[in-house]
Amino acid sequence: MAAPLEVSPVGTEVAPEAVVTGLAGQQIEGRSLGQIAWLRLRRDRVAMAGGVFVILLIVVAVIGPFLVQNPNIYHPNLINSTLQGPNGAFGGLSLAHPLGVEPQTGRDMLARVVDGAWVSLLIGFLSTVLAVVIGVFFGLIAGYFGGWLDNLIGRLMDVFLAFPLLVFALALVGVIPTTAFGLSGNTLRMSILIFIIGFFSWPYMGRIIRGQVLSLREREFVDAARSLGGRGPYILVRELLPNLWGPILVYATLLIPTNILFEAALSYLGVGIIPPQPSWGAMLSNAVLNGYYYIDPMYMVIPGLAIFLTVMAFNLFGDGLRDALDPKTR
Amino acid sequence: MTRRKIFGLGAVTAAAALTLAACGGSSSGGGSTAKASFNQGLTSVVNSSSHTGGTMTFDLSSTPDSTDYDNTYYAYMWNFVRLYSMQLMTYKSCPGACGNTLVPQLATGPGQVTDNGLTWTYHIKPNVHFENGDLVTSKDVKYGIERSFAKDVLPNGPNYYSALLVGGSSYKGPYKNPAGLDSIATPDSTTIVFHLVQPFSDFDYVVAIPQSSPVEQSWDTGKYGGANFQLHPESTGPYAFSAYTLNKQFTLVKNTHWSAATDPEAKQLVDKIVVNLNVSQNQIDNNLVSNFADVDMSGTGVQTAAVRDKLLTNATQHADADNPINGFGRFVYINEKVIPNVHCREAIEFAANKTTLQNAWGGPVVGGAIASTVMPPTVSGYQQFDLYKAVSQPSGDATDAKAQLQQCGQASGFSTGLAYRSDRPQETAAAQALQASLAQVGIKVTLNGYTSGKYYTNFAGDPAYVHAHSLGLDMGGWGPDWPDGYGFLDYLTNGATISPAGNTNIAEVNDPAVNSLFAQAGKGTISQNVAIWPQIDKAVMQQAAILPMVYQKVLLYRNPNLTNVYVDKAFGMYNYAVLGLK
Repeated sequence: MAAPLEVSPVGTEVAPEAVVTGLAGQQIEGRSLGQIAWLRLRRDRVAMAGGVFVILLIVVAVIGPFLVQNPNIYHPNLINSTLQGPNGAFGGLSLAHPLGVEPQTGRDMLARVVDGAWVSLLIGFLSTVLAVVIGVFFGLIAGYFGGWLDNLIGRLMDVFLAFPLLVFALALVGVIPTTAFGLSGNTLRMSILIFIIGFFSWPYMGRIIRGQVLSLREREFVDAARSLGGRGPYILVRELLPNLWGPILVYATLLIPTNILFEAALSYLGVGIIPPQPSWGAMLSNAVLNGYYYIDPMYMVIPGLAIFLTVMAFNLFGDGLRDALDPKTR
Repeated sequence: MTRRKIFGLGAVTAAAALTLAACGGSSSGGGSTAKASFNQGLTSVVNSSSHTGGTMTFDLSSTPDSTDYDNTYYAYMWNFVRLYSMQLMTYKSCPGACGNTLVPQLATGPGQVTDNGLTWTYHIKPNVHFENGDLVTSKDVKYGIERSFAKDVLPNGPNYYSALLVGGSSYKGPYKNPAGLDSIATPDSTTIVFHLVQPFSDFDYVVAIPQSSPVEQSWDTGKYGGANFQLHPESTGPYAFSAYTLNKQFTLVKNTHWSAATDPEAKQLVDKIVVNLNVSQNQIDNNLVSNFADVDMSGTGVQTAAVRDKLLTNATQHADADNPINGFGRFVYINEKVIPNVHCREAIEFAANKTTLQNAWGGPVVGGAIASTVMPPTVSGYQQFDLYKAVSQPSGDATDAKAQLQQCGQASGFSTGLAYRSDRPQETAAAQALQASLAQVGIKVTLNGYTSGKYYTNFAGDPAYVHAHSLGLDMGGWGPDWPDGYGFLDYLTNGATISPAGNTNIAEVNDPAVNSLFAQAGKGTISQNVAIWPQIDKAVMQQAAILPMVYQKVLLYRNPNLTNVYVDKAFGMYNYAVLGLK
């Protein structure tokens, strides 16, 4: 489930560089690879839209909670006590509550969705960083040194890929105490979620890096570095790694949304964030498992839409980034 | 003696194997009767009729712990076993408050107490027969009770006999100790005498538990002996087992050796009773309203949102629903060791928003009625009082709460932990609601969620853990084994019941006045004690040891095809012993 989604290239056709001519009177300069990639990315409207949405989301996650009302204030007068659904259409939509209120409690939906954003993003982002660090390290040494080390790491990756991750996560989160490692409450819970998700999704990154290294290590510049006396660590860090930033960036962008979905799945199963801190997955879970979707469909639609849009934005941006950095894969 | 009766609450269904709903009990040509109305089954018999025939279908979303009456602890099974067993005493089959009354069933009268309350004597009816035609003797009653001691074979069921009878704690049942238990004497074939280790005024309630059903030793050593007894429990009631496919279905047919003259509390109207097991709750609820099933056996009411909303909003279907208080209480225990100052505890009682708590449990219909006492109204001896404005000002009283905080010396509030079961959505919702409402007066509550499996053994039920983690507030629920004050208050508030693990007195109430009232009740009789229970209830509420949230209610669908339907007060669900079909 944590595999980067294999998306066929669908971005808008990018015009070849030759067509781009410098403005009259300006001297035509050579462009760096980064500039070319940026130019390609900028012309990909879908990817740019995804990117803008992601930036917007980060802004909302950071400053949003200070702008909306308290997400933990109950408004029992806004819900129907018998059926427990919000009074009024579209989940009790009103000026005071632009996305309506939560059934059963009457808490403001906008505030809860906004306050849930940083949870999803933080867990998605940090677990990806963890996966990338471990994946790149093992991918580099497996690809470069090869032999028994490659075999060992390869089998290790197989074990991790075959691991029933969800079952393991459920069991682990279920048994952890309320305080451990000097952490408590949601800090502890989030650290554990980040660790579990990151620790089990590194093999995807590892395999991609290993494949890249296998072809890179035969290239002339590596031979040159070696003949000049470069040793393993130097070649890995100074020669190979800079050439891997493209794939790393692309797959990290594609790994973030799968990790967000995984966090939502864990929250959905009740082992995510501790209430009353809102989380999109937990809201969805409450709507579906406790039957609220029947009396108040909006309660399921809103967090569902938030997850859907976030995941799609990251995926579109990641796709565009891959096209821009590595046009050969198109 | 410290097990709580388990209600199959919030029956989350896992079973994928759906039993085919037997098409029994539908559309027979009964004459049209007067229109029923909402909650009519709480106070009167709906569709009173002596019409016989038909097949009645019960659906259950899980499986019973056992159909062996010596091996079950589910409320719905204690209700259902009355169809195939008789006990020394039983609850009177009648609607309303009268349903809590104990009447003799196999016995000829209530127990005769001698020897300062240590000896209880019952005489049994001389003309009751087993399903094989054998006469029921006092030896069979003795044997039936003795086999409930064999916890290695029959692990479920309460332990009142082993705690109360002389030598009971070391007796291992007739399979290991064939000589029997001496403290149950049978001087002749119709007399049975119990010797108790201490006076116990509620003993008549104990002999009404299904464990006092008679069993012939020859039956229990035959084909259906020991653990296989559940496949065909020996019947003395109006019905007897005819088939049982484990985890799927069992069928009961008329017991020809049963006589209405000796068992006026049960009826033998339908020809056949079919119980389908492991039917998904969604399927059950739809089966009920579309008449493919007659009764949801669990008695926990309609759970499917679509069906529930129809019962609440559609006038026709609304008339076919009952909404009883089922006798289960939902509490926040306020630990007196963690929060020793009574004023701080009172502040919690005042500040709690009872409306949001009620909503957390599902609202006034499927959740429960806002509670202001420990004992629910279903219990005999219940008295209404409202010390903390729970009913008069359900949104909470911040002014009084702040005044109490002032007296407590914590004017700006304090911090405490709240233990709850995080795998129970309603308890999780209630924990958040309480946290939000206490925050309004400055009481900061930290939520500590635990899994329900070890909640009472390792966490909330372990005083040392509660103290170490400052869990001043602990959520819990209680359903009594019998509907009087003892079944409710003794476990929750008697100082003697505080124990290091599996503690039920989670608030750790150990008050001399309360303890002496319990001692006084121990010497009294059931009818005298009815005056003592509300005194204990009030004393406990005065020291704010328990914050009652709701008296739990269930939304039951009363199938219009059923006859003689009413809510049995003692069980909080329909009386299964007297149902018939149109």
